[in-house]
Amino acid sequence: MKSILKLCLSLLLIAPVTQATEADDIQQFTLKNGMQILVLEDDSIPNANMYLFWKVGSRNEYPGITGLSHFFEHMMFNGSEKYGPKMFDRTMEAAGGANNAYTTENLTVYTDWFPADALELMFDLEADRIANLDIDPQVVESERGVVMSERSTGLENSNFRTLHEEVKGVAFRAHPYSWSVIGHDSDIANWTLEDLRQYHKTYYAPNNAVVVIVGAVQFDEVKKLAEAYFEPIPAQPEPRKIHTVEPEQKGERRTYVMKESVTSPNLLMAFHIPPTGHKDNYALQMLGDILANGNSSRLKQSLVFEQKLATNVMTYIPDSFDANLFYLYAIATPDTSAEDLEKGLVAQISEVIEQGVSDNELQKVKNSRLVSFYRQMQTINGKADTIGTYQVYFDDYKQLFELPAQLDKVSAADIQRVAKTYLKKANGTVGILNNKEDSYAQDR
Amino acid sequence: MHKIVNRLLTILTFSVFSVSAAEFKLPVYEKLVLENGLTLYLMEQHEVPLIDAVVTVKAGAVQDNKSGQAEMTANALLLGSGGLTRAEFEQQLDFIGANINAGGGLEASQVAASFASKDEDKVLKMLADALLRADFAEQEVAAYQQRHLAALQQAQESPKAVIGDYFNALLFAGHPYAKQRSGNIASVRTMQVSDLKDFYTKWYRPDNAAISIVGDFDSDKIISKIKALFGNWQGNSENFSVPPAKVKPAKAKVLLVDKPDARESTYIIGGKGIARSNPDYVALQVVNTILGGRFTSWLNDELRVNTGLTYGARSSFSAYQQGGSFSIYTFTQTDKTKEAIDLTLKTYARLWQQGIDKATLDSAKAYVKGQFPPKYETSGELAELLSGMFVYGYDETFINNFSDNVNALDLDKTKSLIKQYFPKEHLQMVVIGNADALRPVVSEYGELIETKIDTQQISL
Repeated sequence: MKSILKLCLSLLLIAPVTQATEADDIQQFTLKNGMQILVLEDDSIPNANMYLFWKVGSRNEYPGITGLSHFFEHMMFNGSEKYGPKMFDRTMEAAGGANNAYTTENLTVYTDWFPADALELMFDLEADRIANLDIDPQVVESERGVVMSERSTGLENSNFRTLHEEVKGVAFRAHPYSWSVIGHDSDIANWTLEDLRQYHKTYYAPNNAVVVIVGAVQFDEVKKLAEAYFEPIPAQPEPRKIHTVEPEQKGERRTYVMKESVTSPNLLMAFHIPPTGHKDNYALQMLGDILANGNSSRLKQSLVFEQKLATNVMTYIPDSFDANLFYLYAIATPDTSAEDLEKGLVAQISEVIEQGVSDNELQKVKNSRLVSFYRQMQTINGKADTIGTYQVYFDDYKQLFELPAQLDKVSAADIQRVAKTYLKKANGTVGILNNKEDSYAQDR
Repeated sequence: MHKIVNRLLTILTFSVFSVSAAEFKLPVYEKLVLENGLTLYLMEQHEVPLIDAVVTVKAGAVQDNKSGQAEMTANALLLGSGGLTRAEFEQQLDFIGANINAGGGLEASQVAASFASKDEDKVLKMLADALLRADFAEQEVAAYQQRHLAALQQAQESPKAVIGDYFNALLFAGHPYAKQRSGNIASVRTMQVSDLKDFYTKWYRPDNAAISIVGDFDSDKIISKIKALFGNWQGNSENFSVPPAKVKPAKAKVLLVDKPDARESTYIIGGKGIARSNPDYVALQVVNTILGGRFTSWLNDELRVNTGLTYGARSSFSAYQQGGSFSIYTFTQTDKTKEAIDLTLKTYARLWQQGIDKATLDSAKAYVKGQFPPKYETSGELAELLSGMFVYGYDETFINNFSDNVNALDLDKTKSLIKQYFPKEHLQMVVIGNADALRPVVSEYGELIETKIDTQQISL
């Protein structure tokens, strides 16, 4: 598809682009077991990557096994039939490769980065842990300590993380987005080997994955290797659908978190919004940018630079299969109260709802999103991550190249409408993190 | 053709990355020096319609008279210039999706722009305005000072964010490398506009600066644009050189930083490192990879994989012009602190006691070579690399000979590297956590010094 080029020209008058990735550069096939593979040949460096997107995250958990998806992400490195404990990492690193993984509310994503000539080894390593994971009870125990430490260091060093898990818990009372991805301490300490085995069988099935390979590889070679290593892994029944729909919120919810070392109040507001695939997605993303992307954004300009109520403001909209949250996060300046910061923030939201946004703001967001897109597409890793993300959330990686057209369709009226629809008090949760104990004495 | 330009040095490497050879080479770049002494690095990259332009000035915290001067001077350049207020400047950049960021480092400051190639003229002009015609308006600087103070205060909420400053203060005591990169609360509070102007006047001179431009542009055209925009920048910088960092601790010391509500202990153990110009720089990266530079490194294997004491442990060399540091960093829950520190020290001692075997060395060599090319993939990364050449004096052989330098390392050489460079005695330690719980534990490891994480300035 060449439309990306034309759209760039019309939107931004970008000079001829000679090498930027286009939809036609990406090749796709599906193995007999249902595993989807996407390949982009890219010789810009002598390296390649393999990104495996598994459709399992904290939304697939329930009380008692919260955090299991993330724990499982760790266990996938801890030994399988051919490559026993430690051998996955040792083998990969000895071949010049490195890896990581991340877990979200919706996905578990494994990332292998390697010299392109180590491609076959990557298939062998991945196939072994997908088909023949061997969960060693002793390793489970030491890994619990690792995950406890990961949870602890997040809470120690990140106020956002501390506040975020509390706000989610209040905003959702039914849907599994209620708990943090890392899970509750008591669940981390108590899930069983059987929980893990069941989880692997259910979710690490080839029909539940999208694999993206980008780099100095040949498509034919990738296809041959995928057929040899991944195709023999049997498909499994579709995992249980997550059918829980969060009941409509009928009034504002609030939470307070005390942390002694916090030096000024942190405020996190969260509003229920539809999933990523919904028609309002782009308008919401753009609203987020208009509010807080760049120093000229509304919240930064007003709260940071003019009123000096905040030192920083950001918006966050997680990609999501189910209805999730639109987050507004602000850190108060020293000596500013949480109440004043909240009032200032609400006043800005109200202004968008009542007055709408300008054409200039709309155009700014379109322009900056397009430049950001190119920044993402500068690296083979950015490409793999972006292609996979679109394939997973939109069920079509080609949507990625429709971005300029999708943004172009959104009008100032759309932005105002989504602000009005979603950023309303009754639909919101307010979380405050501060250094004073929440006490009746303070209320007097 | 470029009559106003002296081409001191034109380097041509004849190809971009060659895949089949699997040898990673730096793409073609040019280095020129304008008549006013300004150095210019140019590297065309046409994959995406983006350009990164980084102005680097050899002036950092080491030149601070007041702690934070370099950092604040760099940032003050973006508070209004060339007839635009700060707000107008930011609005214009945001509208086209461009960024200009500034910051002071230890030995250099930077103003870095990233933008769509169609906006080349506009953003380069704004970059020149910021560098050459900044307003230094009282009100904007005062507001920025308050923001910076708040940022310094908020950094103290996170042990991870501040532990490096404490370690440098302990290790480099009395040397400019001990200075806090972003300044401290006490000194930033006293900063005047005149301090920033002084710093600017002294160090922001063309003979002390380089512009590195990488991305989708035409070299011939951009040279004349840079000449037009920066050619009138005049004056000479003062002479300055950092004295050699003679790190020679007479005894082991432990700096305990109290954070009463800490749920874990965060610590660094280390000592003297190397200068960036050290010929063994690359070889030491390989040895360090084995100790603490990758997932399967000894430290991570022991402290994370075998014992579950931490989420991660690593070690690294930080190399500067006149010296550097070596450090091991990790964290663990408060009541496991002794167990973790003992295991850290025991694992570190394997370097001398057990040494490195051939299979591990081969693996580390493959790893550092395999993971090298993606570090220099974007125009931003490449512009940073070129800036590093200007500040630290290395050239493209760092990239082009990287594999050869790695391949040349054998077991005998690793032994001598370990002996020569890894600090073995009088290790310096910083621990941030609950001091009351940790005091009896950590005082075993050396002379105890105590401070608090919310201190106004680090004074030991």
